[in-house]
Amino acid sequence: MEKASPRRLWSRWLAFLFIALIGLAVRLPQLGTRPMHTDEAVNAYIVGQLLAGEKYTYDPQDRHGPALATLALPLVRLQGARSFADLTESKLRLIPVVAGTITILLFGAAVDLFGLIPCMLAALLLAVAPLPVYYDRYFIHESLFCAATIGLILSGWRAAKTRSVGYAALAGACAALMFACKETSVLHWFALAAAGFASWLLNPRHDRPAGRWRAAPPLSALGAFLALALLLFTGFGTNWKGLTTLAKVAPDALSRAAGQGHEKAFWYYGRLLTGGWSGGLLCALACIGFVLAIRKRDASAYRLLACYGLFIAIIYSSIPYKTPWLALNLWLPLALLAAKATESVWHWIATTLGPRAAYPLPGALAVIAAVLIAHDTRQRVFLHAADEANPYAYAHTTEDILGLEAEIHDLAHKSGIARPRIAVIASDPWPLPWYLRQFDQVGFYQPGQQVPDADFYITSNEASQQYTDQLRDLRPDFFGVRPNVLILLWIPAPK
Amino acid sequence: MKILSRNYSLVPVLVVAAAAMAQDKVPLKTQLPKPLFVGTPVPLNVPNLEPPLKGKRPDFMIPAGSVNLAKGKKVTASDENPVVGTLDLVTDGDKAGDEGSWVELGPGKQWLQIDLGKSANIYAVLLWHFHSQARVYRDVVAQVSDDASFKSGVTTIFNNDFKNEVGAGPGKDQNYVETYQGKLIDAKGAKGRYVRFYSNGNTTNKLNDYIEVEVWGKPA
Repeated sequence: MEKASPRRLWSRWLAFLFIALIGLAVRLPQLGTRPMHTDEAVNAYIVGQLLAGEKYTYDPQDRHGPALATLALPLVRLQGARSFADLTESKLRLIPVVAGTITILLFGAAVDLFGLIPCMLAALLLAVAPLPVYYDRYFIHESLFCAATIGLILSGWRAAKTRSVGYAALAGACAALMFACKETSVLHWFALAAAGFASWLLNPRHDRPAGRWRAAPPLSALGAFLALALLLFTGFGTNWKGLTTLAKVAPDALSRAAGQGHEKAFWYYGRLLTGGWSGGLLCALACIGFVLAIRKRDASAYRLLACYGLFIAIIYSSIPYKTPWLALNLWLPLALLAAKATESVWHWIATTLGPRAAYPLPGALAVIAAVLIAHDTRQRVFLHAADEANPYAYAHTTEDILGLEAEIHDLAHKSGIARPRIAVIASDPWPLPWYLRQFDQVGFYQPGQQVPDADFYITSNEASQQYTDQLRDLRPDFFGVRPNVLILLWIPAPK
Repeated sequence: MKILSRNYSLVPVLVVAAAAMAQDKVPLKTQLPKPLFVGTPVPLNVPNLEPPLKGKRPDFMIPAGSVNLAKGKKVTASDENPVVGTLDLVTDGDKAGDEGSWVELGPGKQWLQIDLGKSANIYAVLLWHFHSQARVYRDVVAQVSDDASFKSGVTTIFNNDFKNEVGAGPGKDQNYVETYQGKLIDAKGAKGRYVRFYSNGNTTNKLNDYIEVEVWGKPA
């Protein structure tokens, strides 16, 4: 690894900081406009519990690891939130926005591995492309997970090449952060290990790192991993039950992998990534980059990245359970490989068509690509963020639910009820806990349970027929929760 | 005994009269589109909520000779520049519900009106807002009038706008979930040249969609 002069280092980091700020600027507008997805609402509820002083309890069922809530807690406190009711969409979504911005900035640390121009192009792609922008504004674990993944790749590569104890510990910490985000991190470690082995096999010289093997780096990586994982899963030592729950994760994860209603075809991610005006172009460039990386007869980081990208894409595509935000994980290799291909095409134009064509032709192509990407980002992130026609808006909460809270407030005000008692009867009430967080007397009941008298009842279609006596003098006002999912707010019937 | 025998002699007369009346009425026959969403509506037996149809709708009787007066007729709307599609899609006979078969009026309260050409006695209206997913359209009001501006001689044939958002008075009809079978409204022979429909967004978004409207009746 060539050492850059301090001046060049500064200018390099300034350039990446500028790109990261572009990414931040694209991610911030209208952060609270899109309705809260069920998964976001669940994560918000966990943060609300922590704000209320409850101990963190690790529960892998639909909740993933503790990292997001743990990191969100100080950030929402900084923004003035003291309880679940104080939380807003913007306050919470600022956390993935920051994680996404850090991911962009981290490309500045990847220059030694992948080159300056490809890293800048990849950072720029991540800053403005529709898929990363969309999911970096989603209060789920994915953005943080991606930041930790790139951290692991960068520090792990350096640790493997230099046998540095510090980088190894950093790699261990990044791996722990990945694990504390999502249990599926083991798939990424497997893909990375397989990619490392494959790129070593493909390298005719079978290069080994310089110097003698030392036990200290792997031990420091393991130590950092265990220490951070232990801290996060036990809520900083306050709840050791998390560790016993962790031991039972595998059966849950395997059953989820089978689909659980989210089964999709093998080509789902392929179709998702190639969709829109710009997807095909970016994927075509990434494919060129992949071929270039594999054909290169050396042990470059590109070959590792290409193998990792291929393996993780195959793993995700083979698992029946698929959700669109998982494609964010495929974007890291995709962006770098597309950037590598762009640089190579530029060189090819310059050498084949001469220096006169080196700027106008690639410049024109860059403008076209920018227009296509800007169009997709505008459409999918801002204009149709929750529209069911948007492939990123998966089983998304509809805008209609935004009127529920106002409707109850209005009805309560008209009836002179200062603190309305609300009974929600549904087998799956999410994301209603989020939308009813301003009310302090809300009970959630499973259909069939005895429900006390309330001022307002909210039921699922299925549940309503079990409570005909309580609902007799009321009439339902429908609200859309998700496509094909309706709930009923029961209000006084007109006289 | 005499009274009894006289009553018995009335029975065949009544039977013949009922049969004649029944012959005047025929089931409304319309071509239904293919169902687009597979989720089976949950059977509901709750007061104030229209239960979803189990299977096909029972025959609805209309006077013999009634036709769909709306087919190909001129449509106007409060939103002159629909978000999606054109107004003529509402009376073009295509109820498929696929993309390209509906017109989408802007957000909030909107109305759509069909000019039947001349005054008619209307017995049934079939209305398809959207049927590729379970949706409820809010504040649905259907009215008939001979006045194109609906300022006079207005007969309301359906109104589930119980909060009176549209301003046609609080409605007492029930909410319903859209399906491929459309919403059948019993117009009870209301007379008028124009049929107007109001809505106020739906449970998915604030927009107002119309796939098709059929107005079954006879020229007055």
